[in-house]
Amino acid sequence: MPETRTITLRINGREEEGRFPAQRTLLEALRHLGHMEVKCGCEKGDCGACAVLLDGMAVDSCLTLAWMAAGKEVTTVSGLGDLDSPHPLQTAFADGGAAQCGYCIPGIIIAAKAIIDAHPEPSEDDIRLGLSGNLCRCTGYTKIFEAIADAAGEMRAEGGAP
Amino acid sequence: MTQTDVDPGTLANVQFRQVGKPLTRTDAPGKVTGRTPYAGDYVMPNMLHMRVVRADIASARLARLDVSKARALAGVACVLTADEVTDRTAATDIPGQTGQKRLDTDQPILVKDRVRYFGEPLALIAAETRDIADHAAELIEFELEPIPGVYDPLEALKPGAPLVYGEDNIVAERKIRKGDVEAGFARADLVVGNTYKTPFQEHAFLEPEVGLAWVDENDVVNIRVSTQVIEHFRPIADAIGVPHNKVRVRGALVGGGFGGKEDLTVEVYLALLAKQTGRPVRLEYSREDSFVGHGKRHPFILTYRTGVTKDGKITALDVQMIADAGAYVFLSPYVVLYALVAAPGPYRVDNLNVFAQAVATNNMYTSAFRGFGALQACTAYEQQMDEIANTLGIDRLELRRRNFLKTGEPMSTGFVPPSAIWTEQCAEKAWAGLGEPSPEKGPIRTGRGLACYQQSYGRLTFLHDTSEAWVGVEMDGTVVVRSGVTDIGAGQISALGQIAVEVLGVTLDNVVIYNSDSAVTPLAGTTTATRALYMTGNAAKQAAEGLRARLAERAAQEFGAAPDEIDMAFNEVFVIDRPEQRMPLVELVRTCAAEGIHRSELAIFRAPFSDFLDPETGQGQAHPDYAYGAHAVEVSVDVETGEVEVLKSIAAHDVGQCINPAAVEGQIQGGAQNGQGYALSEEMLYEEGRLVTPSFSEYLMPTAMDMPNVECIILESRSGVGPFGAKGIGEPAMTAVAPAIANAVADAIGVRVFEMPITPERVVTALQQRDAS
Amino acid sequence: MYAPFELDIPTDLDGALAALANGGGKTVLPIAGGTNLIVDIRAKRERPDRMVGLGEVDELLGMDFGPERIAIGGRTTVSDLLRSPEIAQAAPSLIDAARLFGGLMVRNTGTVAGNIASGSPAADLVPPLLVLDAELTLASASATRTLALDDYYLGYKQDARRPDELITRISWPRLPENSANTFYKLARRKGDAITVTGVAVTLSVTDGSCTRARIALASVAPIVRRVKEAEAVLEGEALTPALIDEAATAAADACTPIDDIRASAGYRRHTVQALTRRLVTQAWDRLA
Repeated sequence: MPETRTITLRINGREEEGRFPAQRTLLEALRHLGHMEVKCGCEKGDCGACAVLLDGMAVDSCLTLAWMAAGKEVTTVSGLGDLDSPHPLQTAFADGGAAQCGYCIPGIIIAAKAIIDAHPEPSEDDIRLGLSGNLCRCTGYTKIFEAIADAAGEMRAEGGAP
Repeated sequence: MTQTDVDPGTLANVQFRQVGKPLTRTDAPGKVTGRTPYAGDYVMPNMLHMRVVRADIASARLARLDVSKARALAGVACVLTADEVTDRTAATDIPGQTGQKRLDTDQPILVKDRVRYFGEPLALIAAETRDIADHAAELIEFELEPIPGVYDPLEALKPGAPLVYGEDNIVAERKIRKGDVEAGFARADLVVGNTYKTPFQEHAFLEPEVGLAWVDENDVVNIRVSTQVIEHFRPIADAIGVPHNKVRVRGALVGGGFGGKEDLTVEVYLALLAKQTGRPVRLEYSREDSFVGHGKRHPFILTYRTGVTKDGKITALDVQMIADAGAYVFLSPYVVLYALVAAPGPYRVDNLNVFAQAVATNNMYTSAFRGFGALQACTAYEQQMDEIANTLGIDRLELRRRNFLKTGEPMSTGFVPPSAIWTEQCAEKAWAGLGEPSPEKGPIRTGRGLACYQQSYGRLTFLHDTSEAWVGVEMDGTVVVRSGVTDIGAGQISALGQIAVEVLGVTLDNVVIYNSDSAVTPLAGTTTATRALYMTGNAAKQAAEGLRARLAERAAQEFGAAPDEIDMAFNEVFVIDRPEQRMPLVELVRTCAAEGIHRSELAIFRAPFSDFLDPETGQGQAHPDYAYGAHAVEVSVDVETGEVEVLKSIAAHDVGQCINPAAVEGQIQGGAQNGQGYALSEEMLYEEGRLVTPSFSEYLMPTAMDMPNVECIILESRSGVGPFGAKGIGEPAMTAVAPAIANAVADAIGVRVFEMPITPERVVTALQQRDAS
Repeated sequence: MYAPFELDIPTDLDGALAALANGGGKTVLPIAGGTNLIVDIRAKRERPDRMVGLGEVDELLGMDFGPERIAIGGRTTVSDLLRSPEIAQAAPSLIDAARLFGGLMVRNTGTVAGNIASGSPAADLVPPLLVLDAELTLASASATRTLALDDYYLGYKQDARRPDELITRISWPRLPENSANTFYKLARRKGDAITVTGVAVTLSVTDGSCTRARIALASVAPIVRRVKEAEAVLEGEALTPALIDEAATAAADACTPIDDIRASAGYRRHTVQALTRRLVTQAWDRLA
C-alpha cells in the first residue's frame, strides 16, 4: 500500500492540511486543495504554467512533490494580489494587454515576480532568461516583456511592493 | 513600438468614445489574479475521473481487447469499449464538404476492429480518483495486429496503395480554371517552377482539452468544456443518440484554441460516461493525450509554375497542391478549398489553373489551424515571388508592386472583394520598418524577407452563416450583453462589450458579457475562421443599435427633439446641439421601464449567402471579404551551424478598424510567434504514423529567448464588412510570417530551403549542396 | 500521477546513506531537485519502490573556494552556480551552460549532482566539468571514494555510481593563469532546449604554446565525453589554423553520434568540427 502522509502547507499565508501519497505533486495537491489558479500545462516542467514560489523561489509545482513543500511558504498568483488590491505585476499585465487566453499567465507572473526580486531593474536579458521556462502561445511575449518592465518601474517608484 | 495609420479621408466624420482605444479587456483582471475559472477548474461532488486508452500502432486490426482486470479494480465505476457503443460513430465528413458524403468515413467513437491512426481511442475509463483511472488504464490488455499503412500522401495516391477507408485515398479535389493558362505561358518570357513543402503543426495551446459533464434534472447532458464551438451540442447529441435539446454545452474562457478546439475533443466521451454512470465525470487530457487527441495543421506539397514577362508581370500561373488529410476527413475538404482560393495570393492573375487534393493517410488526422490552407498557400506563393524576382533581377518589393491586386479588381474566383486592398501600403511600411541592416560578422550572415498575403475573414459564404446577440440595459443603467460566442483568448467578448457601450454611450466598466452557453446565450456561431468579431460584433452592434433607437426615441420625446438629434455618451443622454438638455441614462431607463418600453434587443446578423463555387471553374464567391497586409523580418544565419535567429519582425496589416488596438497588437505579435515556430523550430515527427515528438521538450515553439520584439504597424481603411468597418486579424496575423522568414534566410545565404521547418540541419545541407554543385 | 512508492526523508547524510544501503532488494532512488526523476517516474521509465528525499541533507550544500581547488556540494543548484561570482570567475564554461540550462524553475531546483547522475548524453553541465578536470566524491554507508568525472560514465545511461552511493561533492582545480574556458550549446531553439551538439573547451597557454587542452562533447556519443584525440593534437604546440583544423577533424572523427529527432549523426559530426574549430580558435586568439 503506498504511503500516505499528512502534509501541512502554508499557502498564500494560510496553513492548509491534506493527506497525500508520496508521489503526489505539489501541483496536484494545490489543485486538490482548491487552488485552481495553479494551472497544469504539461506535467513535466516544459511549460511553466504551474509555477509557484516556494519560500520566494520560483519552482514548477509539477516537478515538486507535495512533501518537498512541507513547512515552506507556497505563493501562487492569487497570493500576490486580488481583484481589489492587485500586485503591480497584475495591473501591468491587465492594462498592458499581456494576458490573452491567460492560461500561462499565473505561472508567468510568478516567474516575473522572481525576476524582479532578483533584479529590481531587470534588463531585457534578465527578463528573457527568467521567462525561458514559461511558454506562451498567444502573445509572442512582447507585451509580457513590456508589462514586466513597467511593473518593475512601478515597484521601484513605490519603494518595493510586497 | 507601434505605429497607427488612419486613412485621413475617413477619420474626419468618425469620432469614437470607446471603440479604437486600448482599454483594459473585461476578462483581464480575472486572468491575472487567478480568479478566472477555466473549464478544468470546475469540480462537482461525487465526480468521477476519466481516462482514454489509445492504440499505440497507427494501422492495425484490434485482435483482442480485455478490460476485465480494469473493471474488477476497486474504485473503477465504468469501462466502455466499442462493444458497449457498437453503432455509435461521430461524423467527420459533413455533407456538403466533399460534395457528397463519402462512404465509411465516419469515425467510430471507440475502435471496433480497425485502427487508422496512432492514438485512436480504444476504451474509456471512469473511476473514483485519477490514480485509480490511471491504474486501470495499465490493466487494460490489447493486441493490435499491424496492417500495412500509408504515411505519405504521394504514396497514398499510387495505384495499389493501402486504403485508409473507402475506395481510394482521395478525400477531396477542388479546382480553378480561369482565363487561358496556355496562352498566358506562351506570352511569358520566363517560366519559374518550384515545389515547396510545409509541415504538420501542433496548436500547442497551453490548456489541454478538458471538460466536466453531468446529467441534470431534465435529463439534459450538461458539458462544461474548453471549446471553440459550443454548437457541437448537435453532433454530440447525434453521437450519443439523444435529441438536440438534451445536450447543453457550456463553455468557459478557453486557454487557447488556434483551430485545435474547433472539432469535437472530449465532449462525446464525457457525454457517454455521464449518461452511463449517472454521475458527474471529468476528463482532462495530459499533454501527451493532447498531442494525439486533436487534428494537426495539414502538411502541403505545393508546386508552382509561374509565367512572367521580362518586366515582372505575371502572365499565367499553374498550381498543384497535395495536402495530407490523415486518417479521417474532418475539415480537410474546406482546408484545401481555402488553399485553392488563396493560391495566387494578393496578386492579379488572370490566367490561372489550380488543382488541390486532400489525401488520406494513416498519419494523425489534420483539420483546422489558424490560416487554414490559405497560410500554406501563402508560404508557397511568397517564396515563389522571391524566386521570380531573383531570377529576373527585379527588386522583390517592386516585383510584387507590379502584380498586386488592387481595390475593385477580381480575385482568383472572379469575386471582387468589397473592401479596400491595401497590400502595397502595408508592404512598403513593413519593409521600410526594418531600418538599417544589422552587421554581419564571421560566419554570421544577415538577410531580409518580405511576405504579403490575402486571407479571408468570415466563414465560407455557401455555409450561410448567422450570428445572434442580445443587448439589454438594467434599471441602474448598466449593460448586459449575451452572446454564445466563445472567447479563445483574443478578447472576443471584451470586444462585444466595447462595441455595445460605444453604441449605448456607457463606459466599459458598466458592462457584463455572458457568453458561450448553448442553452442560455443566443447562438452566435463558432469562434473560427476569423469570424468572431465580424459576425458576433455585427450582431452585438445591431442589437445595441436597436436598443439605442428605442431609448433615443423616448429621450427625444422628453426633450422635444427628433430622435436623430439625440446622442448618448459617458452614461448620459443629451441633445446634440443643445447639450444643456441632458439626463443620466439611468433616468431614461427607469422612465422606459415604468412605461413598459422594451429595454433589450435580440438581433441576428447574416453574412452574405452564396452558392457553392462552380465545380468546374472554381468561380464565384467563397468568403464575405478578405484582409491584406505584409510581414517583414531580418534574420541572421550562422553558415557553419545553420542556426537562424530572427532579429527583427515587423508586421503591417490593414485591420479596417481597431476595436481594441492592444488586442489587435496582441494578435499580431502572437501570430508572429506562431509563424516563426512554424518556419524554424516546430516539428511533428511521425515514424510509421507514430508521433515521436509528443511533448514541449521535443516539439519546440519559440520561447521568450527566441522571439524578437514584434513591431506592429496598424492601418485602418475602415472599409471592412465587420463592425465600424473592421476586418479580421486572428488568422491574417500569422499567414505571411513563415514565408517572410524563409525569404530572409534565402537572402542571407543565397540558397533556398524549400521545406519547412528551416532547421539548422536543413540550412547546412542546402549550403553543402550549393557548394557541391 | 499514479506511481506509488514509499518515502524516507533523512535529516543528515548518514541517515541518507543508511536509507540507500538498506534497500533489501527493492529499488531505492535518491531524489534532490527531482527535475529529471519526476519526469521519468511519470513516464514509467523509473519505477522506484522507495525514494530517499535529500532536501534536508545539508551536508550536500555549500561551495568552497580554496586556493587550489573549488568544491561544491552535490545539491548545489544550477541557479546557485549562476548567483556565484566566484564560479563565474573560476569556471566560465559552467556559467555558459547554466544560463541555457532548462528554464528558471528547473534551474532553481535542478542540482549539479543530479545532472551528472542522470547519465544523459545531453547533460549540459558535464562537458564544462570535464574540461575543468572535475572529480566526484561518492559516498556510501560503508566508504567514501573519489573518482575523476572522466572515469564516471561507462556507457549509455550507465555510470560508476552504485545504487547505495551519492555524489556528495564535485571539485576541480583552479584554472592556470592564461586559460580560456568556454561552452557552446547548439540546440533547435535558444531557450529551454535539449542540446543537439555541446562543445566545451579549456585551453591554457604559456609562452606562446598550448600547455593544456581539454575538449568535451555532449549529445554526440552514448556518454558525454572528452576527445583526447583532439586534445593531443593541440597540447605542446603553438596553434595554427591548420593544427586547429586537425584537432577539429579529430574531434569529429572521435565522436559517435546517432540520428535522432533533433538531428542526424552527419549534422552532429559537422557541427562538432565547426564548433571545436571555432571555440579553440577564439580561445587561442584571446590567449596567444
